[in-house]
Amino acid sequence: MYDAIRVEELDKPAVVIVNAGFVATAKTAASGRGMPGVRIIASPVIPNCIDEAEVDAGITPLIKDIVAGLTKPLSAEEKAPSQKEEHPRIVFRGTLKEVNRFFYKRGWTDGLPVLPPTEEEVAEMLSGTDLPPDHVVGQLIPRLGKVTVERIAINAVMAGALPTHMPVLIAAAEILMDRRVYFGQFGVSTGSFAPMWLINGPIRNDLRINCKTGILSPGDIANSGIGRAISLIIKNIGGIRKGVEDMGVMGNPGKIGMVVGENEEESPWDPLHVDHGLAREDSAITVHFMDNSQLITPYHVDDNGILRVLIDNINPGRQLVYTIIFNAETARILSKRGWSKQDVREFISEYARVPAYQHRVWERVFTEASPNPWGLRRQQMPISPMETMRIIPNPDWIRVFVAGGPLSSMGLYGGDHFDVQKWVTKKIQLPANWNKLVAKYRNIVPNYALY
Amino acid sequence: MGDLYEVLSPWAETDPVPLRGISERLQDLSGKVIGLHADNKPAAVPILKVVEKRLRELYPTATFTWSYARLINEVEDNAEAQAAYLEWAKGVDAVVGAVGD
Repeated sequence: MYDAIRVEELDKPAVVIVNAGFVATAKTAASGRGMPGVRIIASPVIPNCIDEAEVDAGITPLIKDIVAGLTKPLSAEEKAPSQKEEHPRIVFRGTLKEVNRFFYKRGWTDGLPVLPPTEEEVAEMLSGTDLPPDHVVGQLIPRLGKVTVERIAINAVMAGALPTHMPVLIAAAEILMDRRVYFGQFGVSTGSFAPMWLINGPIRNDLRINCKTGILSPGDIANSGIGRAISLIIKNIGGIRKGVEDMGVMGNPGKIGMVVGENEEESPWDPLHVDHGLAREDSAITVHFMDNSQLITPYHVDDNGILRVLIDNINPGRQLVYTIIFNAETARILSKRGWSKQDVREFISEYARVPAYQHRVWERVFTEASPNPWGLRRQQMPISPMETMRIIPNPDWIRVFVAGGPLSSMGLYGGDHFDVQKWVTKKIQLPANWNKLVAKYRNIVPNYALY
Repeated sequence: MGDLYEVLSPWAETDPVPLRGISERLQDLSGKVIGLHADNKPAAVPILKVVEKRLRELYPTATFTWSYARLINEVEDNAEAQAAYLEWAKGVDAVVGAVGD
């Protein structure tokens, strides 16, 4: 769509052929860039279809529309589009139920009830940062909404987050705006990616971010509140709504929020943020856009049984970046037998192999516009389909993290596309009165009664 | 009737984007240079091949030139690709793009 706008800006007519299910997405993309009139041709052809007969049957009946798109005179609205609706700062006044119905009908929630973001609640949330409310952290794609500190706080209140979560939310927003993570792709992709936020450093303990049993299950205000707040920020600031901009075919339950802390105290290895160049005493956040997860139990609990089961579960049909989460016990077993994180990454990259005929490259459809993401030329492919090929040719496409409860299960989380996404870690900046804030909010914890 | 809450909008402000109309259309495609721009979706090239074939039948004097985006959003994300694309677009009379999903 943006490519067509570039052409229109050169005073030349353009039309864009769009799968019929994506017309709303295309329209908001055009409108968001100030050119709502871009002419769209709705096509029945699936964007990955290469069946020539199918394509011909879908496109030939549209030729008259394509011609009209380039030649039919403009309507008054196409020549001079009407201005969009403005949103006031105070949007509604009502009871708890009425506020929730209003927000839900506006498409501003995740379907669950939210806390009302009143001036008072937002002011308390803003106590979690030294930045002024009108400070603009940046603009979040695709809508290019202004990421003001106040707007982060409003969405954080709605999510049930605490003021001490604000520094994490600001850093998360910075990551989403970092072009190296390709949020514009992974946030809206049909691939249904969800951001998994990996937290390191002392802030894990300050916020009581769960690093142990049930790291991905709900129940901890830090993990749940931060994750949900980011999800609402993505929706209400980035403007990514399910079925409109977010075209994830199946969706992903992780989109409501996945926040995991590293169990640094019990890990035998340096934590992730140290791998990424920060100091151990820094607090940091890293994102991995994942679209699938596997819980894996070792064949037997030694290095052989742990690593063999991992390489047997690397999927040859995908082109994924992986986060492997070992619990502390499993990590210690590997470490005692001499395995560093880099050793683990290199081992998996080297030995997770399949016969060439089972490798995705072997059957990969190469079109003129679709390069081979492995960077392999045909001359570099095995001659025999029975020769083995590496599924993950670069160890850097694997990250190792230590978290989770006791016993020996491991988490294998695949996502991203290694041809574009880069690992990005940001340092979390804390306000001057951090210790006082922590003292105020840290003891908000569930107390589970015995029964 | 419960307590009343006066609530702030979570929906972000945006920089006012000046709304612009699209460009004037061509009167006829005869004799024109039609640009075919394929993004990185596998169907893009097959779709535009059909478009080229059918438009050639309708407008034998039209000529066609192709452009390819090798990665998603490449024209937006890569300055070099954007410059090449704009240079290509300057040489055409109209563009048909696919697949804009």
